[in-house]
Amino acid sequence: MSFIKDFIEKETLSRRNFMLASAFGLTGAAAASIVGTGRAQAAGAIEDPTIAWSYRDRTNPYWNSIVSGGESFVESLGKPKSALVHLINEGSSEKSLADVKALLGKTDGKLALAIDTNDSPNARPVVEAVVAKGAYVSTIWNKTDDLHPWDFGDNYVSHMSWSDVGPAEQTATILFKAMNGKGSIVGLGGIASNNPAIERRKGLDNALKNFPDIKLLDYQAADWDTQKANSIMSSYLTRFGDEITGVFCANDTMAYGVLEALRAEGLAGQIPVVAYDGNAQAVDLVIAGELLATVYTNPHWGGGITAALAYYAATGAFKPSEEPHEHREFNGPTILISKADAEDFKKKYIDATPTYDWKDFWGPSNGPITY
Amino acid sequence: MPNLSFRGGDLQRWAPLLVLVALVVFFSMVNPNFFSLKNFARIGISATPPLMIAVGATFIIIMGSIDLSMEGAVAVCAVVFASIFMALGGTLGGWGWLALPACLLVGAACGLVTGAVHVGLRIPSFMASLSMGFVGIGLSLMMTGGDRIRVEDPLFRSLLTQRFLGFPLMVHVAFVVLLFAWFIQSKTTLGRNFYAVGGGEDLAHASGLNVRRVRIAGFALAGVFYAFGALFAVAQLGIAETATGYNFMFVSITSIVVGGTALWGGSGGVWNTLVGVLIVNVINNGMIVMGLPRYVQDGVLGLLVIIAVVLSTDRKSLAFVK
Repeated sequence: MSFIKDFIEKETLSRRNFMLASAFGLTGAAAASIVGTGRAQAAGAIEDPTIAWSYRDRTNPYWNSIVSGGESFVESLGKPKSALVHLINEGSSEKSLADVKALLGKTDGKLALAIDTNDSPNARPVVEAVVAKGAYVSTIWNKTDDLHPWDFGDNYVSHMSWSDVGPAEQTATILFKAMNGKGSIVGLGGIASNNPAIERRKGLDNALKNFPDIKLLDYQAADWDTQKANSIMSSYLTRFGDEITGVFCANDTMAYGVLEALRAEGLAGQIPVVAYDGNAQAVDLVIAGELLATVYTNPHWGGGITAALAYYAATGAFKPSEEPHEHREFNGPTILISKADAEDFKKKYIDATPTYDWKDFWGPSNGPITY
Repeated sequence: MPNLSFRGGDLQRWAPLLVLVALVVFFSMVNPNFFSLKNFARIGISATPPLMIAVGATFIIIMGSIDLSMEGAVAVCAVVFASIFMALGGTLGGWGWLALPACLLVGAACGLVTGAVHVGLRIPSFMASLSMGFVGIGLSLMMTGGDRIRVEDPLFRSLLTQRFLGFPLMVHVAFVVLLFAWFIQSKTTLGRNFYAVGGGEDLAHASGLNVRRVRIAGFALAGVFYAFGALFAVAQLGIAETATGYNFMFVSITSIVVGGTALWGGSGGVWNTLVGVLIVNVINNGMIVMGLPRYVQDGVLGLLVIIAVVLSTDRKSLAFVK
């Protein structure tokens, strides 16, 4: 039976050679693109690339503003809104990657892609697929900590995220001060595995450390969902009754559900509630005094600038590899909105969408991402 | 022993109600706050929109079909209602009331289309309704562009904010609609035809019943109840958007089955569905009142559904289960 043994040995050997070769190929290609001698397209001179935004779903007001920013960037180029290609992943990383690959094939790499890859591990295959085709990509929110734009030359243009720990700590602090530093709160969180849900909870915990007389009665995930938040809040009222003197919500859409649960009991405006995201309705509620504070992350700007970065890198208007690291990985803006500044904020950001200079890539951003 | 078997069937008939009572007793023992008028009102509010939707779907399930289009239909109804309501002045005091019948008509139209696709194209109801649900979600997204429409008219919101006998108006109105559904189910030819189709379609057909027409009428009728569900959902949250329809598919189908209406058709009814919806909402409310963590809640809900189905349906006569 020695021929079988021979065969297996031969196969193992050739497999090993193949893997070594492909490993060299990858690093070789990456090294080549870093020194700028990669494919012709890596030099960044794609004339009129297709512009695409890949995201979860348009029903969510947050993603809706992200994409409206992308559309207004496209319009700034003198194109119709419809020139922006929408890749909707519906919360599936597999679909996200498959759509990107399909579009890369269709455009033959003449693509400027803005994307949230739905979850962190999916960022690497997406970026590698884009780089292999010589297209350009800018990411937001999700990527693993070991994946960096500067490791891919010009083609992985930038990554933007938002650090929510600090702002969430601020809203929680505003809430606790409104409660005069004592009492009990309940919390409603986002989908437990989502990064912003984790960070906002962490911000709350940080603030709790500074206020020893505030007790967190319970914290349940309401999955960013208005209806779920509504029924959880009414159950909280049964369980804790008058004990609840404050509510912390990890986003606006859940706060709407909470406020309606309070309104049903005639308690709207009597128990302070804080939220996050700075949606138009939330700002109105802050002005009306039903919501104490929310945080605006300017998704409109974020959506536009992410597409702009990918686009201008693709056309060669700027060369990402010549930019410092803090221009490749940076935090998005966060603006805290409370009663004092809500009116001004509304005038500036909601009644009239500010016109942004889509070539001012880093103006409103908020410092480099630290790990 | 005819007497004994009669009692056995009787027990099965009342099993869902007994489960409900047992749950209420259990949660009240864990936390006495559970057993209060205020909490029952809270459960009533969260149960109202899913009750309407589940009642609509009950008719379909009695026929032995299934309807999974509710999320799309509710989204379309909610968005159309809010758009018309706001366009006509945004208050029930003015011409805004016209949006109410318009919403019901849109619901009926959604159901009519689903039914026509199912019957006309001979596509199984499962697939036809699921697809029409997606169409509805897409349609409502197109109408709103992803935005939410706020309905803040105090007169319309009084469905939530005004109370009578401790319960908000929407609970009372929903009860009236439920009586109407019961009337259709037991006192009209259409209602009895649903049972005939579900109990044995061949037999019904052979007796000269136009089964195709009954099916389409059933889907249209269900659509009207989805529209009621949409109205109450908007009244509850003051917001109409595509997401208004989300989560209703699971809740309504679960409630119907837990209430003792068999998925194979021919048995059950709207009162079963009422009990089923209450069971699901009591469990959801009770688990938070008990303070169970979220990951335990999902598991417990799944187990309770299985227990309720085991207790409340007669599975002995089934030749096979698919």
